[in-house]
Amino acid sequence: MDLLPAIASIFLGLIMGYLGQRARMCFIGGMRDYYLVKDTYLLKGLFAFLVCTLAGFILFQFVSPAIKTFPWFQDGGAVFAKKWAAMGVTASPSLLLPVPGDPITWSPKAGAHIILAVLGGFGLGFFSCIAGGCPFRQHIMAAEGSKSAIVYLVGFALGAIIFHRFVAPFIKAVLA
Amino acid sequence: MRITAAIAGGIFGLLGAAGQAFFHVIPPPAYGICIACHMRDLVNWIAAHIYPIYGLKAGGALIIPGGPVSYNFPLLTIVGILIGAVIAASVNKEFKWKVMRVWWQRPWAEFFLGMLVMISALTFGGCPIRTALKAAYLDITAFIGLIMIAAGVFVGCQVLRKLT
Repeated sequence: MDLLPAIASIFLGLIMGYLGQRARMCFIGGMRDYYLVKDTYLLKGLFAFLVCTLAGFILFQFVSPAIKTFPWFQDGGAVFAKKWAAMGVTASPSLLLPVPGDPITWSPKAGAHIILAVLGGFGLGFFSCIAGGCPFRQHIMAAEGSKSAIVYLVGFALGAIIFHRFVAPFIKAVLA
Repeated sequence: MRITAAIAGGIFGLLGAAGQAFFHVIPPPAYGICIACHMRDLVNWIAAHIYPIYGLKAGGALIIPGGPVSYNFPLLTIVGILIGAVIAASVNKEFKWKVMRVWWQRPWAEFFLGMLVMISALTFGGCPIRTALKAAYLDITAFIGLIMIAAGVFVGCQVLRKLT
C-alpha cells in the first residue's frame, strides 16, 4: 500500500520528537561539546545510534527482504549494475559508490562522489556548529518556542528548492 | 525514568533500521530517518503540486526530485517530530517564546544558516542522522562524510571561540 511509509513515518516522527525533546538529543552537539568542554553526554547518543542501527540492520536482514542490499559496499553494486544497464552505461561498480541520495547518484565516477562527500560533510558540520545544533535539534528548539529555530526551518525548507533548482544542475554540469 | 541521550540514540537507531525493514521506507536504502531528505521530499512534493517548478516528464507526470518512496505521497517525519516535540515541551512545561542572544543565532542570521545547512546536507545526500545511518549500512563514502562533519565541527568550534 502506498500510504504505509507516510503513516509509519509520522509515528516514527512522534516518538523521535518526544524522546529528542526529553533527552536534548543532538548529533552535531555531541562533537561540539566534546571539543569545547570535553562533555560526552551527547556524544554517547551518537555512538549508541551507530551501534543500534548496525545491530538493527544485522538482525533485521534475516527477517525482512527490504534489507537485502545490507553490506552496501559488497551488495550495493548489483543495484548500480541494474540501473546502469537500464541507462545504457557500461562500467563496473566500485566499493566506494554511495547509497543513492547525492545529486549525481547514478554516476559511475567514485571520485566525484568522494568530492561531494568531502565538500558537503565539511559544510554540514561547519554551518550546523555555527547555527547551534543539527537540523533535528533545530526542529526540537522550534517546537520549544525558539524564534531563531523557527526562522531556521523556513530557510531550511527554501534551501531544498534552491538546491534542486539551481545547485544540483550546476554540480551535475561540473562533475558529470 | 530519566531519558538520556544514549537511550534516545539507541531507540532512534532501532527505529531507523525498523523503518526500512518493516514499514517500506525504501527506495532509496538507509532512508528510515533523515531530517534534510524528508523535509526536501515534503517541500518538493508540495511545491511541485502547487506549481510544477521542476517541469513535467514526457508522459505528463510531475518531476519531483527526492526519494522515489515519496513520489505519490511524501514522508511526514518532520510533521511527526514537530508534533511530538510540542507535546513533550508542553507536558513538561518547557514551552516558552525566546530568541537566542548571540548575533549569529538571531533569526535573520539563522535563516541563511538554515539555507546553507540544507544545501550542504543535500550535496552530501543526508543530514547528520542519515550520514550515521548510511555509515551503519556500511557505505564507505558515509564514513568519509562523518569524518568531514567532525572536521567541520572542529573548525566551527575554533570560529565560535573567536566570536565569543
